[in-house]
Amino acid sequence: MVITGLGVVSSIGIGPERFAAGLRLGRSGVSPITAFDTTGYAHANGCQVLGFDPAAWIRRTPVDSLGRASRFSAAAARMAVQDAGLIDRQLQVARCQVSIGTTDGESYDLDRLTAAEVAGGPAHLSPRLARRVPSPLLSVAVARELGLTDAEVLTVGTACSAGNYALGNGLDAIRFGDADFALCGGADAVCRKTFTAFYRLGTIAPDCCRPFDVGRQGILTGEGAGVLLLESLGSARARGARVYAEVLGYGLNCDAYHPVAPNEESVARCMALALSDAGVKPQEVDLISAHGTGTKANDITESRAIRRVFGERPPRTVALKSMLGHTMGAASALGAIACSLAITHRFIPPTINHVETDPECPIDCVPNTAVEADLRIVQNNGLAFGGNNAVVLLGKHEELL
Amino acid sequence: MNITAWSTVSPYGLGRAAFTAGLLARRPTAVALDPGQWQVPDARACLVPQFDPRTTLGLKGTRTMNRVTGLAVTAVGDLAQDLGAPAGPIDDPMDPAADGIMPGSMAGSMPRTALVLGTTTGSVQSMMDFTRSSLTGERPFDVEPAAIPNSVMNCAAAQCAIWHHIQGPNTTLACGRPSGLLALAYARRLLLGGRAETVLCGGAEEYSPARSWLEHHSRDGEPALLGEGAAILRVEFTDGPDTLATVLAVESRVCLPTSSGTGRASRAVTYTLGAAATATLTATAPAPANTRPTSANRTALAETDVAATVAEAVRRALGRAGVAPRNVWAAVPSGHSEGESAALRELFGTAALERVPATGDLLGDTGAASAAFQLTATLAAGADESGRVAVITSVDPGGAVAAAVLRLGDGAFRGTPR
Repeated sequence: MVITGLGVVSSIGIGPERFAAGLRLGRSGVSPITAFDTTGYAHANGCQVLGFDPAAWIRRTPVDSLGRASRFSAAAARMAVQDAGLIDRQLQVARCQVSIGTTDGESYDLDRLTAAEVAGGPAHLSPRLARRVPSPLLSVAVARELGLTDAEVLTVGTACSAGNYALGNGLDAIRFGDADFALCGGADAVCRKTFTAFYRLGTIAPDCCRPFDVGRQGILTGEGAGVLLLESLGSARARGARVYAEVLGYGLNCDAYHPVAPNEESVARCMALALSDAGVKPQEVDLISAHGTGTKANDITESRAIRRVFGERPPRTVALKSMLGHTMGAASALGAIACSLAITHRFIPPTINHVETDPECPIDCVPNTAVEADLRIVQNNGLAFGGNNAVVLLGKHEELL
Repeated sequence: MNITAWSTVSPYGLGRAAFTAGLLARRPTAVALDPGQWQVPDARACLVPQFDPRTTLGLKGTRTMNRVTGLAVTAVGDLAQDLGAPAGPIDDPMDPAADGIMPGSMAGSMPRTALVLGTTTGSVQSMMDFTRSSLTGERPFDVEPAAIPNSVMNCAAAQCAIWHHIQGPNTTLACGRPSGLLALAYARRLLLGGRAETVLCGGAEEYSPARSWLEHHSRDGEPALLGEGAAILRVEFTDGPDTLATVLAVESRVCLPTSSGTGRASRAVTYTLGAAATATLTATAPAPANTRPTSANRTALAETDVAATVAEAVRRALGRAGVAPRNVWAAVPSGHSEGESAALRELFGTAALERVPATGDLLGDTGAASAAFQLTATLAAGADESGRVAVITSVDPGGAVAAAVLRLGDGAFRGTPR
């Protein structure tokens, strides 16, 4: 199964070209949060998507009928289709799988409805906003925008690893004959609810996100969407499509342990499951895109789990959240896209904002500056509240002679 | 792929026996809501009687558990115990009253069991409560940290895993009404991929003021009967004597809104209730005119389009299953869409629609649990109908349509009766 189209809405660039350029330059997506009133918080930086014009991408759907996350997912799907060199009609006559992961769905609208309820009671809420709230719409928006009727449409609500869950589902849907094309990824919008939750837990960094750094202070909440178009190699060859990468396999498991704290043994087991599914040995992995949130707990647990699987000399391990913030349900989808771009364009995106690696996280995080590298196999980690782990392995597509 | 066990927490009460008895008696479950207790637009709802996570599951680990999580943990618990999971809750690490240690060992855990749980939007009540405390507290971060997991959509599935030691894939499908059918298709792929040996799948939905008000406004105030509960099925590839039904095919389609999504020409499919009231609609008849004006951006589905989409999904599913329409014993619609019921009536005749009691009428709109309830109702009503074929369909207001074809088996429950 191969990736032939990428759609990106992110704080460091919209569209795969700008996103790739941002990754290579180590751009920071940080800005003061404007999505909601941040009065009363000591600090409120985030990684919002600025300058996003939904009308530039969304043609068939009244934009007003979509919440912010659904606008992101529909736009990213439209981009992925264009990037793959497909026209809508080709998808409409095929069998499609749409899987969009999310943590918060349309919580941005739900927050606004809550504010309206606080102000005027529940009898006076906006029907327009209320109709945008149900989470199935994040994936339905993709089908509506592309005019897909012969499609299985799933919104995957498995929090911050949902993008990888969606990607794995797309892989299996094609592998087992349930679909010809899969549009899979994740989307989320910055909202008060989630910012406040992380703030209350003491895990929002005051300025920027510094994964694996001894001075790291937590995450920044981010937003955006990533959608990947998957098809079989035969399909891609038949239409002469450009191949970014192959999806080699994936692993899913659940810590079944703690609502918010990750479990090292279980995270390691998920990586082992993914490697086994992909038929890849640990020493064959050239790069890991970590979940890498920049919290004390995650980075220690994740780097220890990596060393459990990969030994004392693990592959270089980068944390894109240093640039993008934590884009929640979009995070591992954007991670998978970054991995695909890294393979295609032969570079490793850096972990920015890095000063000094935490001795408790002894990995090479490729600090601050991208490096050139010929990558054959890349691992993309996604971990989530609830112990929902999902790891995907991507490989360079090399035509056999 | 076979269904080998099921469990429900329904408006009929806890467990399979209560569900089966109430369903086969076709007993409606709507109760009048006490306006002193419920400040909601609904006069009636279908509630799980006397359900409260703390009374049903005990005080340990339930201090901050929300209702939908409690429903799911209870329903999954019945099946997990059948599989040999350690009974009972573990200590809640978020609960300061808990003094035990988290089970660090994986003894008794189930790494080869997956959980696939349907939802619509998680608990909108927990989410709105959380944001409200941020908006009304002295400081915007004066919120209850233990409530944080409740405000995320995967809370129920994750808590099911923690309570019942289920360490395989743990997937939350936020697909609304068809979740239970889509979960079957998803479960099949997990099994085919060797990612699990057993999948527990279904859906859960809670009744809450927040859900009630949001759905009320979404419908522009049209009345509806909401319900709640959780229904879970155990599916696996093993072909043992406990096969309750074989899943022959699951097919899904999307019904797109008409005329750029402004639903002017037809009555919206959203939240219309009751197959009985819709006898006039057929798959080919023009849709009835709107009975009331709708808001400008209402993205409505035309009933005729819904009917055509359901019919196409069913035809394809039957084709994949190799079953002729005349051999379908029961047709089981969600009961929340006129077009859906009309399509099934046209394909299979009225008698087929009456064989399985209409969960949509009896239990109300149970949202993400509804298709799973249709499945458990089919198994309950078809317990002595081995070899018969049933078609189950569902339509989400967003436009996702799913159809499943089951062949009933002659398996007997080996599970613990509740």
